[in-house]
Amino acid sequence: MSSQEHAAPAPLGVGILGAGPVTQAIHLPSLARLRDILEVRHIMDVDPAVAESVAARVGARFSTSMDELLADPEVEIVAICSPHQFHAVQVIAACRAGKKAVLCEKPFAMNGEEAAAIAAVSAETGVPIVVGAMHTFDPGWLAAESVWGSLPDQVHTVRSSIVLPPNPRFEDFATEIVGRTPPPAPAAAGTAADHTAAVKAMLTGGVMGLAIHDLPLVRRFAPDFRDVEVLYAQTVLPFGYVISLRAGAVTIELRAAMNGTWEPSWTFEAIGDDASLAIDFTPSYVHAGSATARIRTAASTTVLGPFGHNGYEGEWRKLAELARGTGTAPDPETLIHDLEFALAIAEAAAACVDAGAAAYEEARA
Amino acid sequence: MTTPLMTTPLTVQAGPDAEQTGAVGAVVASLPVSFAPAGSQPDVVALAGTAGWTADAADAVRGGIRGVVVVDPVAEDPAALAAAAAEAGTAVVLDQAWAGNPVLAESQSAVRNAIADALADAVLLDSVAWGVPGTDPEVLLTRHLAAVLACGVELAGLRIIQRNANGYTVIGSLPGGAPAALQGITTSSVPATATVSVLTSSGRADITLPDASAGWPAEVRSVTSAGAASFPTIYESAHRHSWRRLRAAVDSGASAADLEQFATLTALVGQLHDSPH
Repeated sequence: MSSQEHAAPAPLGVGILGAGPVTQAIHLPSLARLRDILEVRHIMDVDPAVAESVAARVGARFSTSMDELLADPEVEIVAICSPHQFHAVQVIAACRAGKKAVLCEKPFAMNGEEAAAIAAVSAETGVPIVVGAMHTFDPGWLAAESVWGSLPDQVHTVRSSIVLPPNPRFEDFATEIVGRTPPPAPAAAGTAADHTAAVKAMLTGGVMGLAIHDLPLVRRFAPDFRDVEVLYAQTVLPFGYVISLRAGAVTIELRAAMNGTWEPSWTFEAIGDDASLAIDFTPSYVHAGSATARIRTAASTTVLGPFGHNGYEGEWRKLAELARGTGTAPDPETLIHDLEFALAIAEAAAACVDAGAAAYEEARA
Repeated sequence: MTTPLMTTPLTVQAGPDAEQTGAVGAVVASLPVSFAPAGSQPDVVALAGTAGWTADAADAVRGGIRGVVVVDPVAEDPAALAAAAAEAGTAVVLDQAWAGNPVLAESQSAVRNAIADALADAVLLDSVAWGVPGTDPEVLLTRHLAAVLACGVELAGLRIIQRNANGYTVIGSLPGGAPAALQGITTSSVPATATVSVLTSSGRADITLPDASAGWPAEVRSVTSAGAASFPTIYESAHRHSWRRLRAAVDSGASAADLEQFATLTALVGQLHDSPH
């Protein structure tokens, strides 16, 4: 055999749309550990100084236009890390540009129509799409999934609880951030309508920006995901939520608080009559390995993990497989259903606030 | 702690239900100087806290008993019992699985202060009570509320958000307006524990109260900006702690505050019955 036959394939070229903290603190450090299979070749950001600085740290080209990045023949995989409202357009453009695979940060669309359009383009072009729901790629979750057997059939209650410090604490452990945008100033006290709007905005932001990380996991245990009824929704200061809902016969409780703590806690639980799953996830940004999953019965506890890498690295490994034509792409229908589930909860939570405000006004009248 | 050698044990009698739920025989055996099994005329009795327990206990009080332990009481108005006990000078102690854990005793000032500090700065209270399948949700909720109150939590505006055979969700608020969420879940896969988590602006306090069927210790942990602290473990079940409290109450003649606190609990449960579901 010649040495040529043993040569590893050249790394696949990666281009990233959006060079904010998620790109800097999550994706670039993840890719730095995967240099044998992936190589960052192009960074795009609307801020040229940020684009240039972030590109320079990985020896990549930079630009301020999506078209320029998509036209770069060295880019084979596109990661979309731009603000949410640009995701759908950019995913579709990346597919049409003939790239080998696309990663889109969550949520990959802002409504069902956008999601359906993306699925159609993916089907038409054959370009696989991975949504950055990192916990679904976490080796701890995947290990649990491989052994939980009939657990989903008996689960009657699901809990997702997220307690995190503000993102900069962990971003700064992962990298040196450039171009960080200062957090918006708290809104001044206003009318009752202003308050209601602020509560709704926090709940929508909480569901689509925080709860959405684990809603694909929740949906695995809630087969009647279209039958969503939000029973209670309240905000937690300074940012967070308490949301109680039902999806079919499954009770779902969502809790989150982003406070000033130094100690993160990110747990997911699915509970049945005689078995339950509990997963402790590591926080985003810090590259602290995988989740640890525990499957319990009255007589036993099976511990799975932790493993050496987290779901973000898992996403990139999956993308590399897909771009090389190996591995199975996520079912677009699954991605659409995940999005529909999240949107339904966000909308129903906001409606819950409206109903509460209306009841308050009625009581005052 | 040293028990005086000349202590005369109080003789104990327990009905089958109280014996089963309160492990009375095993607990009394672990306090051999303070208590002994009764022959015919007990000094103190253990009663099961099933429906009608207040009347049963009042009957025992009027019968001249010196002390009563009620195991796992369901929500009932204890006013008449309290009056009878006060008149007779009889000690009545409620043996509650989680609320009676020794870690929450008045003497545990460091624990109580840590919880109080967290409550003063709370942004969310999230509490879960676990019970075996088949547990009556109302019984589980009564135990659960008792545990939360025993942590020094004041709850307002409680209402039941959902309730079914698998558990319940109750929502209310803390004095500062922060939301309080209490969830009951039935499963055989997790021990019958209760957790009370108080999230603050910069940390949290977590109290995990164990099943009282063994001497598993409660866990109390406090997180502040300065770090995290775990409090000393107490390997004593709520059952045993209740019996020690009974002995102390009989000896001192001072009435325990159990019935007064239980009246608050009963009122809260009553308010929940009246809330829209």
